Amino acid sequence: MSSLDAALSRALNTPGISGAAVLDAVTGLSYAESGDVSASQDSCEIAEIVRTRLVRAGAEGELESVIVTTSTRHLVTIQLPRQGDPLLLCATVDRDRTNLTWALRELGRYADELLA
Amino acid sequence: MTAGSEEPLADSRNIPALLAALRTQRRSCTVLVTGTPGGSIHVRDGLVVAMETPGAPGIEGLLLRSGRIGEQEWSAVRASDTSHEHLAAELVDRGLVGAGELEVISLGALFDAAFALSLAVPDSWEVTDPVPTLYRNAGVTPERLLGEVSRRINLLAGEPGSVAALARTRMRQATTADLPGTVDRLPPRHQDVLAAADGRRTARDIAFALGRGLFAVMLDLRHLLNRGLVRPYAPSTDRRPSTAARIAPSAAAPSPGAPAPVAPSALDSVSLSLPRRLPGRNSAPTPRPHD
Repeated sequence: MSSLDAALSRALNTPGISGAAVLDAVTGLSYAESGDVSASQDSCEIAEIVRTRLVRAGAEGELESVIVTTSTRHLVTIQLPRQGDPLLLCATVDRDRTNLTWALRELGRYADELLA
Repeated sequence: MTAGSEEPLADSRNIPALLAALRTQRRSCTVLVTGTPGGSIHVRDGLVVAMETPGAPGIEGLLLRSGRIGEQEWSAVRASDTSHEHLAAELVDRGLVGAGELEVISLGALFDAAFALSLAVPDSWEVTDPVPTLYRNAGVTPERLLGEVSRRINLLAGEPGSVAALARTRMRQATTADLPGTVDRLPPRHQDVLAAADGRRTARDIAFALGRGLFAVMLDLRHLLNRGLVRPYAPSTDRRPSTAARIAPSAAAPSPGAPAPVAPSALDSVSLSLPRRLPGRNSAPTPRPHD
């Protein structure tokens, strides 16, 4: 099992996180997937639009995360800075099984392990 | 050449068919592709683990050009493993690059090379014994490879001209990029690509110079093209004077009222049948996608 897949499946053990994927922020290439990742490609496009338009609007600093909330779930996209093009950690979080703060804290923990 | 113990491969029509056949037989081999750009495809147990082509930066180029590891460390790793079979493990063990990071780079280079190879029709290919190479991933099925390549081609297909032409075009900064405040409002990634577009580099050259993937650079170039910040570089040799033989215009088109020439010479009939250049048409040479 690849090291990326192993790190993702650990993230899926967190209650409420039903899917996670690691994508290239520029090309949208999916490096690893686990669980329900149907929305990850869309999350990647949304993140690209947000990133470009924020800079155009004069915002300073790098994009950190995009959270899209529907009536049943949160689609959390965390940008992982690295040398070269950044990566995106996209996760599907069930709203009735966990809260956003907890999920973000857990995902941040796994994000650090991902590229080690 | 193929190993004698394995069943022979049926003739494949194209590379995807060949990869599918290798997948069915779970073969481990290296496919050498000749053509422009050409390259090699490394298959292990029927799954594609690495691809190398001069058309896109490989793992080595991505690691070195981006400054992730230095030349000296890289030479030391290569010297310690002369068979080049355990380069990936050596890189991770020495702490030069993280296991997950190397996996990301390995997969990124694989899909990028597949995209670069798909832009041209190969001349021929040959299946050989496995050649040791640097990779760190579990392998990709030929279907996934094809699916991703067609997704990439579709993403760029909105361009005027083919995707392959966009890859060959030399790009230069447009004068609008000099306007104050324009470049500042671009993400740093786009600023780097803009700075690298000097009129001599193609998308491939920019990718090699920055240590990024070919497809990623082409996406950024398309974005810059759409915003009018770069444009294809049209070589000035297109405007050189015509070397076609000149023919006196007076004999070519007699006015309707004038009496017809008694004995039209052979030259007249030739010049009448030749297409004539009309002012205003074709005055601006269209930028050629290549050179």
